[in-house]
Amino acid sequence: MGKEVSESCVESLLTEIVSSYGTRFYANKPDLAARRIEAIGYQVGHQLSERYTMERPRFSDHLEAIKFICKDFWSELFKKQIDNLKTNHRGTFVLQDNRFRWLSHMSIDPSPENSGSTQDPSAVAENKAAEAASMHLYFPCGIIRGALSNLGIPCAVSADISNLPACEFLSFSALN
Amino acid sequence: MIVCVAVVGHQNNPLYIQSFTEADDALKLHHIVHCSLDVVDERVNNPRKSGPTLNDTFLGLLYPTENYKVYGYLTNTKVKFILVTTDLDVRDADVRNFFRRFHSAYVDAVSNPFHVPGKKITSRTFAERVSTIVKSFGLSSAG
Repeated sequence: MGKEVSESCVESLLTEIVSSYGTRFYANKPDLAARRIEAIGYQVGHQLSERYTMERPRFSDHLEAIKFICKDFWSELFKKQIDNLKTNHRGTFVLQDNRFRWLSHMSIDPSPENSGSTQDPSAVAENKAAEAASMHLYFPCGIIRGALSNLGIPCAVSADISNLPACEFLSFSALN
Repeated sequence: MIVCVAVVGHQNNPLYIQSFTEADDALKLHHIVHCSLDVVDERVNNPRKSGPTLNDTFLGLLYPTENYKVYGYLTNTKVKFILVTTDLDVRDADVRNFFRRFHSAYVDAVSNPFHVPGKKITSRTFAERVSTIVKSFGLSSAG
């Protein structure tokens, strides 16, 4: 406990994972690349949840476990808590982070590759930004899924980025 | 003296079991550990008897047999730790302390990237750490 990790190292590592899997190992299969990155995140989340739940009483229900993810788990990972938690009380949870750390330092290459196209250039840039950012979100999605399933909540997690750098994680659990 | 410790996964699959006796009674100890799993389930499902605080990870004395006392501990991730001891008067604080140290050893072992979750813990470092913890059990009260 108490060991610290350099933030810039983690960010570089994440960028490198995404670019290795996305453009080298599975260049033609973005789905497979996404699955592999998600699986890495899953293992990380699985192990981190084991460590961070050590000195606390057991959770009595799912909401408590989700709250743990939003507060303590997020603080350990990103030095801040989730900004907003919404739920429909039927197993869907929306975790909103208004300034997601791993996206806040991202910038998009502005070179106009599709200059010949008829599309509005700002729309093209936005599309590219969303595409690049979404590849970087499979890892944190995997972390959340790994942590929750280790706490006894099997679920599917997806991310939504309609307004960067805010980020919403949607978690659907089958039970409940 | 601690005669046996065990780590049992959330599907009641054995992850690690180690006895610390000279005699050839491993099977008997494994049987005791096996029996205690039902008591753990019972404690978790009917929490009215489970000690002073609800949902505490430490489950307390599971059941005494003629020669042994069996203690249990359940982590947030539904992994059970079982401790079998021959000591007659065991202080709860000692057992709690043991489980706390055991838990951190376990966490370090499963955080190994080469460990496959849900599989048996084969790490030699973990085994050594466990036997150190077992040897130091109860020393704080004696000395």
